[in-house]
Amino acid sequence: MKLLKSENGLGYFWKEGGEYCVIDKITKEDLLQLANFTLDQPDVEFDSYSEEDIKPLAHRIIYKNIYEKLEGLITRKATFKDEANRLYLKEYEKYKVEESVLKGNGSKQEVA
Amino acid sequence: MKKIDLHIHTLSTSRDAQFEFSLDCLKNYVSRAALNAIAITNHNIFDIGQFKDIQKAIDIVVFPGIEINLGTGHLLVIGDPSCTENFSVQAEKVAGKISGAGNSISVKELEEIYEDLEQYLLIPHYDKRPALNGDDLSCLSKYISAGEVDSPKKFIRLCKDQSKPTPVIFSDARMSPNLQCLPTKQTFVDCGELTLGALKACLKDKSKVALSENEGNNLFQIFEDGQKLSTGLNVLLGERSSGKTHTLNRISESFGSSDNVKYIEQFSLVQHEAINSEKEFDKGLQRKQSRFAEEYLSGFKIVLDDVIDIDLAINERAIEGYVTDLLKSAEEADKKDSFSQAALFDETLFPLGDDEGLGELIASVRHVIENIGYREIIERHLDRAPLKRLAVELIELLWKKSDDKKIKNFVNEVVRDIKRGLKLETSATQLEDIDLYKICMETKKVERFTQIVSCLYKEQDFPVENIQGFQIVAKKGSFNGALELRSANGNKGTFKDCFSKYGKPYEYLRCLKENENVVPAEAYRLFAKIGFVVLNKNGFEISGGERSEFRLLEEIQDAQNYEILLIDEPESSFDNMFLNSEVNQIIKKISRSTPVVVVTHNSTIGASVGADYLLYAKKDASKDGVVYKLYSGHPTDRILRSACGDQIKNHDVMLNSLEAGYDIYRDRGAKYEAVKE
Repeated sequence: MKLLKSENGLGYFWKEGGEYCVIDKITKEDLLQLANFTLDQPDVEFDSYSEEDIKPLAHRIIYKNIYEKLEGLITRKATFKDEANRLYLKEYEKYKVEESVLKGNGSKQEVA
Repeated sequence: MKKIDLHIHTLSTSRDAQFEFSLDCLKNYVSRAALNAIAITNHNIFDIGQFKDIQKAIDIVVFPGIEINLGTGHLLVIGDPSCTENFSVQAEKVAGKISGAGNSISVKELEEIYEDLEQYLLIPHYDKRPALNGDDLSCLSKYISAGEVDSPKKFIRLCKDQSKPTPVIFSDARMSPNLQCLPTKQTFVDCGELTLGALKACLKDKSKVALSENEGNNLFQIFEDGQKLSTGLNVLLGERSSGKTHTLNRISESFGSSDNVKYIEQFSLVQHEAINSEKEFDKGLQRKQSRFAEEYLSGFKIVLDDVIDIDLAINERAIEGYVTDLLKSAEEADKKDSFSQAALFDETLFPLGDDEGLGELIASVRHVIENIGYREIIERHLDRAPLKRLAVELIELLWKKSDDKKIKNFVNEVVRDIKRGLKLETSATQLEDIDLYKICMETKKVERFTQIVSCLYKEQDFPVENIQGFQIVAKKGSFNGALELRSANGNKGTFKDCFSKYGKPYEYLRCLKENENVVPAEAYRLFAKIGFVVLNKNGFEISGGERSEFRLLEEIQDAQNYEILLIDEPESSFDNMFLNSEVNQIIKKISRSTPVVVVTHNSTIGASVGADYLLYAKKDASKDGVVYKLYSGHPTDRILRSACGDQIKNHDVMLNSLEAGYDIYRDRGAKYEAVKE
């Protein structure tokens, strides 16, 4: 999935629902969504930043900044996944395993 | 068998309470306790003059010794009586190094002073305070002949454990005129001539030491007149006002601190008022409940301590600020001057993530390589060589990342300075950097936290403990109102607002954080409600009467954490069926590891519990007034004997104490027979 692209001399970003919006209309919610997608989704890509492909100065500034931010996340994506998967894992497993024990004088039963 | 006490104090030092030495007291002790050898072991000092006076005055073997502060524990070093001059010189060196009450020497210093420790008998405080610590103990293990303990229970425990040194028990007494009772703690050794060498050889063999002269470790001396107790189960019989409770109190006192003794006094478990009984009961249960909750929620506390400082609203504002500045900066693009056009003006900083994951991976690989316990299985599946190469590569990567991080940190500092400098020269909007990685990770943390709390809210029962048919069950679930939260918070604060957010764990946490009555470190207690209930054999919550039964069994069970268990007339509060089916069983079980003394008039206990030793208290009137005597013997002995040699028939004792005499016993039997028909 391409999250940032340059087309017809303008910069665009991908919005949930599949449409692309011009980069100077980006909001904080959009940026957060791009960051989450970059880290969570397996096959995200971006058009590289190039002054030749993006003409308006404002688009260039916004595109370049966001592109660099998301590229920074891509380099740490594997670490993020590892770290997120291990987050409080021991504690989570402790309380989750015990979830399979039904209430009732401590007798253990399998949950269907 | 020879009776020895190799731990006696004759000098008051900074480590003792002030006392005055009495040679007469020592002579009296040696004579009345019928000792065959003693050692003089003062704290970090050896007074050769006093030692020689003692040697002259006492006609048994007296060993020169010293009790040294070694590391955090104490060590007895005992020398040969024929080398006291040399021993004195070495002791002076010890005294020179240890001048104040808190000072100690190291194992290395000990070895330097004594040169050849093989020439001495070394006995550390082993299961006795202050005990020698593990490192010092293992350094000295080849020289150690025995380990000192301070109770018969510990003595037996060490005897049974082949990995532990031979136990010895000594008086550790101060020989002063104020000594009220003569010490009763000595060790019997199966040794011929009492030389240092013979004693050392003897102490290395556990079968050659005992608590009593003729009964091995089955009996130990409790009173100075020579009265003994079983290391198992003792039953103390006697009529009313014959001195039974007084005897129990004396036994309790002879164990020193009350922390060593579990004493269940008569009627102590049955309150006259039901309300008090319930309160006492709940208090006891709450202590257990609190320990369980703390342990159960320990993992959650770790999570909470991390999540409590995450503020998602601040993160959202940071992103909003960044996007606003970015758009504004873009709008001003045409107006940029030479400062704001510089590449570094809006430069982002290098992210500096930690390498925790890589560090953990290296530790895991090292664990596999270095594991000894399962090496055979590991090597069946994995070659060590590639594992080692993997560890090396990962470690090199970690070093490289660490170097990179240092350089990036340096560059970031420079970029920050330049950005600050450029900003001072222009009115253009400069972008504040944000750490998207951290923001996304904190969102994940909150998600996982919410999952964990959802699990905690679910109702669940845990069996905690079973005591003779009673079952303690911990019940976990969610809180049902603000009042319950207040109660869980030690009845402090109001929780109406917080409880309204209880269903949304992160919002609830934020609310708790703002509540000034909640200590952040204790907030983990306010998520899952944990309570204890006690169920009877049929699975129902226990009644008032059962509550007392449960408390008795619980108290008896708790005795395994003490040096001795004393119970005064349990029959005063409980019926025979319960005593026979539950109390006798648990008492017998505890007595396998802890000495027990039960005072009783009840035949269900007295005759059926299976005592190892019988004591009988009797009040005799004589021309000198009232005399309290104590007779004892094995339950199968025909005669019980007192310490001074008086005798009494066991059969009479049993029938008079437990059955109100032979005639009553016979009549009762006849009546039962008649009813049966």
